Amino acid sequence: MRKYAYHELSLLQYILLIHGTQIGIGVLTLPRELAEHAGTDGWLSMFFGWGVSVLVSLVITNMMKLHPDKTITDLLTLLLGKWLGKVASILMSVYCAIAAIVVVVNSAFIINVWVLSQTPGYIIFMLFAIPIYIIIQGGLRIIARYSELVFYLTLWMPLLLAAALKDANWLHFLPIIKEGWQPILSASIYTVLPFLGFELAYFVYPFLKKKQHASLGIVVANTLTLLVYLHVTIICFAFFSPDEIKQYTWPTLNLWKVIEYSFLERIDIIFLAFYLFILSTTVLTYMYFAVFCTTQVFGNRDHRKHLIVLLLLIFVCLWFYTPSFMDLKKMTDIWSIAGVGFAFVLPVLLFGPIWLLQRKAGGKKA
Amino acid sequence: MAMRGWLRRKKTSAKDRMSRRSESHYVREIHDQLPDNIAELQRIFTLTPDLVIRQFNSLQVEGQIALVYLRSLADKNSINNNVLRPLLNQREGADKSLFELLSVGKVFTVYNFQSVETEILQGSSVLFIEGRKEALVVETHGWPQRAIEDPQLEASLKGAHQGFVETDAQNIALIRRYIPNRELKIKEIWVGERGATKLSVMFLADVANPDVLQELEDRIKLIEVDTILNTGELEEYIEDNPYSPFPQLITSERPDTVASHLLQGKIAVIVDRSPSVLIGPASFPSFFQNVDDYSTRWLVATFIRMLRYLAFIVATFLPAIYIALISFNYEVIPLDLILSIGESREKVPFPPLLEALLMELTLEMLRESGIRLPAPIGQTVGIVGGIVIGQAVVQAGIVSNIMVIVVAFTAISSFIIPNYDMASAVRFIRFIMMLLAAMFGIVGIVVGLMALIGHLISLESLGVPYGSPLAPVRFSDWKDFIVRSPLWKMMDRPKGTRPIQEKRQGNNRLKGSEK
Repeated sequence: MRKYAYHELSLLQYILLIHGTQIGIGVLTLPRELAEHAGTDGWLSMFFGWGVSVLVSLVITNMMKLHPDKTITDLLTLLLGKWLGKVASILMSVYCAIAAIVVVVNSAFIINVWVLSQTPGYIIFMLFAIPIYIIIQGGLRIIARYSELVFYLTLWMPLLLAAALKDANWLHFLPIIKEGWQPILSASIYTVLPFLGFELAYFVYPFLKKKQHASLGIVVANTLTLLVYLHVTIICFAFFSPDEIKQYTWPTLNLWKVIEYSFLERIDIIFLAFYLFILSTTVLTYMYFAVFCTTQVFGNRDHRKHLIVLLLLIFVCLWFYTPSFMDLKKMTDIWSIAGVGFAFVLPVLLFGPIWLLQRKAGGKKA
Repeated sequence: MAMRGWLRRKKTSAKDRMSRRSESHYVREIHDQLPDNIAELQRIFTLTPDLVIRQFNSLQVEGQIALVYLRSLADKNSINNNVLRPLLNQREGADKSLFELLSVGKVFTVYNFQSVETEILQGSSVLFIEGRKEALVVETHGWPQRAIEDPQLEASLKGAHQGFVETDAQNIALIRRYIPNRELKIKEIWVGERGATKLSVMFLADVANPDVLQELEDRIKLIEVDTILNTGELEEYIEDNPYSPFPQLITSERPDTVASHLLQGKIAVIVDRSPSVLIGPASFPSFFQNVDDYSTRWLVATFIRMLRYLAFIVATFLPAIYIALISFNYEVIPLDLILSIGESREKVPFPPLLEALLMELTLEMLRESGIRLPAPIGQTVGIVGGIVIGQAVVQAGIVSNIMVIVVAFTAISSFIIPNYDMASAVRFIRFIMMLLAAMFGIVGIVVGLMALIGHLISLESLGVPYGSPLAPVRFSDWKDFIVRSPLWKMMDRPKGTRPIQEKRQGNNRLKGSEK
């Protein structure tokens, strides 16, 4: 009997789950980071980030294909034995937890700076914990449905963002590749973090119903993500002057500040509030897989208790120590480094052994 | 699934505590001596003055006969004409058996006192015959009944004007009139230890999903209670998530609504003695649909559907948005508007949350007081509440004009939602949203919305997703969701209820080229 049949995902859910995980804080900060390192040519770097992500995603998908009914934790246990496998699973869990915490704390921080300046961070986190618990307790099926729904619910955002184009100055882009390829290539490192999320195929693949479309699905997910980032970056570059954009921490938010209607001012506040939906898809998936790993390690079927412990832990940490902006930056860097390790290096390292394992198992059968 | 564990836990002990069925006379067989049987009956029915035991000799049957029934529940005309008269008077055909003499539709034999007691308490009459170890049960029910009237809660403009009554046989008849098909099956289940209630599970055997049906039956069979007085009670025992404010099964008092749901592959449970029928599996959008939608022009019906969803959003969020904008995020409102709001709030001494809570609670109280009052007084409540309080409260400077507008708009919106249970859920959620808005402003509202969406998509009704066709997205079901597309476009039954036979109609409309 297949272990994960209850939580089966359709192809669309698979795509949008991964896409939703990829789109996170990146949309807010990416235009500045690219502008800092590659000027207005930065949007070209995105293609490199996309290319590498697609390649690695395909490696992961092909690796998971060898054992279609097993998640990465099952595989690691198979490969390293019981105890080392458990250690590896816990490391996975820590990685996912770090990712979730970075995004959730960042969101709380942005909300704190932008809207609720008087409210302490841990109270905001407590507020976030309500929907997080409600959704994650339903398991992967519910998270996938949620990601799918959020995708449709937020379709209006890029359209509204395009309203800024009426004040755009396209001359900012010219000449293309003004300083050669070197800065573009060096800036492409910064496009790695925004694409993180595809590595969750490690976990999600066994849940997919039609596995023959897995490769297509993950390429589509990465491409959708690329389109969103391109859209935002190009609008930001066209709207702000190349120097101005570097002054804003979250240029995308400043972009909304300019849009104004006769019945609504400061759309950025409403946008930011709704942007929580997009951030939530990232937090939810990472947090779910963080507790998923620990439940696998402890052989406990109910992930809700683990979730409560994790949420309480974050809450208490935030209560005693409010991270500063620099701390957040450091945390984000840790996530980037860990992400490069888990998402880019690990599949390359694992592919060989897992392939051998498959050969061995296949040989035995025959 | 885990939520229903508590039902299971008390299973072992409950039966012994609730009923006295373990007593010996229950399992006793019927004696062959008539006096013994009568003595036994008198032992079972002590202090039952409406029990009638009539002993007589018949020309057709050897030995004495005793006719037993409850005067209050049996139909006296039927007993006189169809049981007593043929037995007492008829002379020819002395060789006929008792079965042929009784001119009643349903007659059957029982062999123990447990069945005898149940049947007598249901209004049947029982015939004991000297020298036979069996008794004949004759169906002679007759209890006070109400005539079929227009449904009260779900009034309809164009639909039928027959609503369910308190007798399940009548209700089944009303539904069968819409679907005279042999695939319309009924499973009878008895629930309740003291006042056994007959539940009739009705479904189209070749359309409804057998797994869903099994799930429903399993849940009903877990119930161990004194009795089920009303459909609402049954709903609470079998719903998926008891901690949710949302109704997870539909209750309807309209036979045409039930028929329409049955045709979609849903399952109906008719509860005897209750004038409403339970329908499942339900989805969130089905609470925003109405039979009238299908008999008005589809463009108009679509517009009205959209109005209902808008009303849902307004009724849930409008007071919260007011609070958030006034007390937190006033920078969102344009300058001219905020000046006029400020002017009207100038004299108001309370913070927006208190102002809103005051008015909303007043409104809820007015509503509740109006429901159970006789119609003429009910109108007075409306006048006192709406005109006198509304006017005076603004003039006294307790509440601002804009707040009164917001409250009135919210109230009207919540009346637009066609289902009473859904409208009540909205009333409840509104207060949570108001609190969130007062604490966190717009961010609070959005997080509240997130939690609401999360809750709605994780709900299930009889194991079928509640959020369908929105989450999981099923575009083929969107034909009957926000848009009520033309009937001839809805070729298939909605997939949300997982029907096993999907085709609903053929191609009823020639394509442009075929005309």
